[in-house]
Amino acid sequence: MDALGDLVGGLGDALTPQNLLFALLGVLLGTAVGVLPGIGPAMTVALLLPVTYVLEPTSAFIMFAGIYYGGMYGGSTTSILLNTPGESSSIMTALEGNKMAKAGRGAAALATAALGSFVAGTIATLLLALVAPTVVDLAIGITAADYFAIAVLAFVAVATVLGASPLRGLASLGIGLYLGLVGTDVLTGQERFTLGVPQLSDGIDVVVVAVALFAVGEALYVASRLRRGPVQVMGASGSWFTREDLRRSWKPWLRGTAFGFPFGALPAGGAEIPTFLSYATERKLSKHPEQFGKGAIEGVAGPEAANNAAAAGVLVPLLTLGIPTSATAAIILAAFQGYGIQTGPTLLTTESPLVWTLIASLLIGNFMLLVLNLPLVGLWVKLLRIPRPYLYAGILMFASLGSYAVNADPLDLVLLLVIGLLGFFMRRYGWPVAPAVIGLILGPIAETNLRRALAISGGDLGVLVESWVSRIVLGLVLLALVGPIVLRLVRGPRSTPEELQQEGTLQHRVPAGRGRGDDEEEEEDR
Amino acid sequence: MSTAQGLPPDAAPEPTPPGEQPGRNTGELVMAGLLAALGLYLVLDAGSIAVPGSSNQVGPRFFPYLVGGVVLATGIALGVRVWRGDQGPADESEDVDPTAGTSWQAVAIISVAFLAHALLINVVGWPLAVTLMFATVAWALGARGIVRPLIAGGIAAVVVWIVFVKALNVALPGGTLLEWATDWF
Repeated sequence: MDALGDLVGGLGDALTPQNLLFALLGVLLGTAVGVLPGIGPAMTVALLLPVTYVLEPTSAFIMFAGIYYGGMYGGSTTSILLNTPGESSSIMTALEGNKMAKAGRGAAALATAALGSFVAGTIATLLLALVAPTVVDLAIGITAADYFAIAVLAFVAVATVLGASPLRGLASLGIGLYLGLVGTDVLTGQERFTLGVPQLSDGIDVVVVAVALFAVGEALYVASRLRRGPVQVMGASGSWFTREDLRRSWKPWLRGTAFGFPFGALPAGGAEIPTFLSYATERKLSKHPEQFGKGAIEGVAGPEAANNAAAAGVLVPLLTLGIPTSATAAIILAAFQGYGIQTGPTLLTTESPLVWTLIASLLIGNFMLLVLNLPLVGLWVKLLRIPRPYLYAGILMFASLGSYAVNADPLDLVLLLVIGLLGFFMRRYGWPVAPAVIGLILGPIAETNLRRALAISGGDLGVLVESWVSRIVLGLVLLALVGPIVLRLVRGPRSTPEELQQEGTLQHRVPAGRGRGDDEEEEEDR
Repeated sequence: MSTAQGLPPDAAPEPTPPGEQPGRNTGELVMAGLLAALGLYLVLDAGSIAVPGSSNQVGPRFFPYLVGGVVLATGIALGVRVWRGDQGPADESEDVDPTAGTSWQAVAIISVAFLAHALLINVVGWPLAVTLMFATVAWALGARGIVRPLIAGGIAAVVVWIVFVKALNVALPGGTLLEWATDWF
């Protein structure tokens, strides 16, 4: 078990007092920012990036590991305790956890979320450590054309499979690809689409775009339709996590992990599908189906575990191939590039100590979250009560800090506002913003590999389908593009999770004769 | 439908009357039009990218043509879909009231405040510029009074500046007064 030896080595590096302090700081900052309403994990990582600028890479990535898991955990706390819906990957936790909190079981909901995150995070991080070297061994032989095909698959998956509207996902992706083109071409040194502005010849900084789309765009969008009136935060009160709760939670945790990790690890990764699947499964298997929709603990435990396992799974393509499949992963990749670290299949060999320390820090951060978060819940509740005008003013303050600190150039802030306004309109019309961030960071990588492949073949496009890897991957691309269109023709538009719940089509063992919707949950056991 | 006829691609989206469900076709149609225009620009402008002599391999124009083509096609297809009445799900967030009308005023005030602070940073320093931006944004979002947002923003900006500049060595202009006052650090 070579991987385990490396992991133990990484643990040794991460367990110095100084590095533990960075991990602790990362976990605390990540959770505190992630708890704030309106701030998802991607925005948490983007906003906290400047904190790590001054650190050397190892410390920075140890802190990043803490921020990453802390941000994920903070998000679920928000959705349980705040009486309003949040982002889609935590919507399942929100549905049941929120109801539990209303019924005075807030403490139990938070506990099952925290324990489930810990169990799922630990298992999934260990899986990451075991799988990564194998994937690298497979990936070392792939050609530039294969690499291009995988990038295309990631584009298509992120743009069309994950969102509600494939065309809007493609639109967002196109914007990101365009922003990635601006600057100097790396292979020939020619300027492209810089409009003669000298600052643009270095390209548009990923941090600026991510902060603009997530933080500024979000602040503007919330400002345009702010929920007025007092903030309703539910108390984390009620009976503590009981033996009965544990009995009902542990299987959903494991099943959620089993859903989350593989989905996260696929180039079509993301947390939404596995959380959704986990919720549907728990509902089917539960002995208390009548509680679903009214605060079933399985409905918090399963999706929350799936969410966290997917977050670890996303790191598989990121660390082994250099392919980001979520907005958060794109920002982490940008951080690698910021340190001049070459990502891709060689990362695990060239930067072996750094990567294994990062993975070990994920385990440590995960454990810290478990120990810290339940005692600190009172603090998180206070953070949720921050008056919204100050909260969003503060988000803009940190957006300004992060973007100005990159180059100390006010032009970056003007760019931040312009792209932020773009993000505002995108949100307004339901264009997902994550594909734009992924397009921006993955576009240049895809282009380099495409041109490398075509240079080797002398311009013959046939090289793109020469190997079996690229044929299979491009086949999947085709499937991802055509599949949804066919499905829509057959079944009508896809329902959102809320609609499914309201229509009751996710019901467990529907009594015979009761009408059911024509939806994706047709399979009945037996 | 008829109101969207012959819309120039660069027109600003029409303000939505309060109370009406946002996401009416017009605004997104403009977005789709702009996207198609961006695709066209990419395709046209890619032709003017200089290609260095050794042209036996794929040069810097190929990928822009590809991206431009995809963007153009997506813009047109989306435009057609929106024209037919297709609507995307507006973004969800904890603090968004889905039934509220759009407050263009708040968006405009915040944009102007942010632009002003960007231009002021190198003149009066980051803390002061951010304090003014913070207070304006908080005021636009309904914070009570003028003094409290100013004080809150001022304290936050100075604390953040001290932490990042003095402890983390991030380069941020502090303004004459603050830099002089914290010189002894």
